Amino acid sequence: MLSHPVIKFLRRFYRGNTAAILGSLIVVTVIIMSVSASLIAENEPNKRVARGHQPPSAELWLGSTRSGKDVFSQVLHGGKISLLVAFGAAVITTVIAVVVGVSAGYFGGRVDEILMSITNIVLVFPQLPLLIILAAFLGQVGPLIIALIIGLSSWAWGARVIRSQTMTIRNKEFILAAEVMGESKWRIIFVEILPNLISIVVGGAMGTCIYALMAEAGLEFLGLGDPTIITWGTMLFWAQSNAAFIVGAWWDMVVPGAAIAIFGGGLALLNMSIDQISNPKLKTGSYIKTWRRMKAEVEAQRLQP
Amino acid sequence: MNFVVRRFSFYFIAIMVAITFNFVIPRLMPGDPVDALFAAAQGRMPLETLQAYKEMLGFVDGPMWVQYLKYIKSIFTWDLGPTIMLYPLPVTELLAVKVPWTVGLAGMSTVISIFIGLIIGTYASYHRGGFVDRFMPGFWAFVGAMPQPVTALFIFFILALSWKWFPLSYGANPDLDPGLTWEYVSSVLHHAVLPISCMILGGIGAWIFNMRNAMINVLGEDYITMAKAKGLSHGRIMTHYAARNALLPVVTAVSMQIGFVMAGAIFIETVFNYPGVGLLLFKALGSRDYPTMQACFLLIVVFVLVANFIADLLYLWLDPRLRT
Repeated sequence: MLSHPVIKFLRRFYRGNTAAILGSLIVVTVIIMSVSASLIAENEPNKRVARGHQPPSAELWLGSTRSGKDVFSQVLHGGKISLLVAFGAAVITTVIAVVVGVSAGYFGGRVDEILMSITNIVLVFPQLPLLIILAAFLGQVGPLIIALIIGLSSWAWGARVIRSQTMTIRNKEFILAAEVMGESKWRIIFVEILPNLISIVVGGAMGTCIYALMAEAGLEFLGLGDPTIITWGTMLFWAQSNAAFIVGAWWDMVVPGAAIAIFGGGLALLNMSIDQISNPKLKTGSYIKTWRRMKAEVEAQRLQP
Repeated sequence: MNFVVRRFSFYFIAIMVAITFNFVIPRLMPGDPVDALFAAAQGRMPLETLQAYKEMLGFVDGPMWVQYLKYIKSIFTWDLGPTIMLYPLPVTELLAVKVPWTVGLAGMSTVISIFIGLIIGTYASYHRGGFVDRFMPGFWAFVGAMPQPVTALFIFFILALSWKWFPLSYGANPDLDPGLTWEYVSSVLHHAVLPISCMILGGIGAWIFNMRNAMINVLGEDYITMAKAKGLSHGRIMTHYAARNALLPVVTAVSMQIGFVMAGAIFIETVFNYPGVGLLLFKALGSRDYPTMQACFLLIVVFVLVANFIADLLYLWLDPRLRT
């Protein structure tokens, strides 16, 4: 069991990699806490349980909102929807980016030209202003629509990265060998190329997750989301429209903000470590110090007569 | 020359796509936005203005392609009709006042974050495993993951509201006459410190990452070893040999970064009540002022394209192979 390749891989991935360990811990904890929100939080998120803007105390760990709702319960329940939006958008983006990137990179020629001109145009569009305009015309939009429009508009960068990686891989000998052996194009794409793209695809998906989390929070902060659904973004929106900072109820604003920052930060740390799998040169960590010490020793020996 | 022509045709297509998007969106939405507009104006708007709006949004009588051509004409003649929130002020006049503030905010903060980001990135990658290299990427990953409106509000709350170090609102002291006097300029700078700092906080991480990663790839090249073997100083290798070549992939990332900068400007101008295009867009959202919204969007697209063009020129300067 312990020698299973997946376990071996995980052990190698985490060993000495503080960023990866910390990142995974944060991400897993936040996901577990949001999923089991109704078990952890005593109060219903939408129930009035106290007077407005009560500071954090023994009963209300993170205080209450302006309308007397439990912030702790809201941040857990809101996390569920915010995370779903982030993951949903990341899945849509990743699928489009892989399809466009791999087809452009593998088939080349006319296909590549057409797909890449579309990608470049989508890339040059400022995404958030685009989302704002779309959301404004749609009226207040729910989490599902937000996930859809983020997912459909932010695949361009990923597609470009995946395309260039596919182009490098497709000129390697093993692909030529597979072509000479007469393997079908689909088999080459799915069996030979895609497995070599995994770290880039996963890294890109995590990057999109962070982006989608922020974009959702931003849209809802501006009042474009559906304010009756509790998410981290609508919590920010309510805190802002109740002037939480100005009346001194900092917890109302800081809690959802910190939730986004902690989860996004955890994903970013994990993402950095995944980048290091696809490009081991990028590694940071203590072993570089070890390597430098060894190098210095060798040089010192060489200089001795 | 070929490169410039190709890029220009690309920009032209991009701007046409943006215009088409603006044209199509009101038609795809349920109901007629002009009627919604009329309702939003609550009777302040005479009927002929309503007609003007219909024309502005392209809802003129006639087949779709006539509407489309008329819409394009109204864009290129810079005739975008009156605003709704400040009726009957034309959209273009309102925008003209706002543009310099946003250009200043976005431009200054981008230049500063590129400058600092590239220095930190270069330094970190050249001193692998050192303090800067081990802690900066993780630290900035966390800072970059904080939602910009929250960081901005937090800074606003502490430095402007509680400690009163910086003004709460506006781009300059409204009592002063705009002009090139020391008083006015210093007031503008004083008002810009916090918004620019917030923009830098949000954007600098990406530049550090991009530069560090690009540098690490370049540092493995033979010509770096060659430069070291020649006995050149570390400073010279770091800047003239490694950084200069690492800049190329970093410049290509500009098109993505600049979109984030504009998104950040919307939040930060809103938080600091800074009189730019972002705040205008936010206010237009609040009063359902669709013409102003669309004009702001178009303008933001133009900003991004101009920034891309500057990046292209930089690319041309950095990579002599393109200058044929």
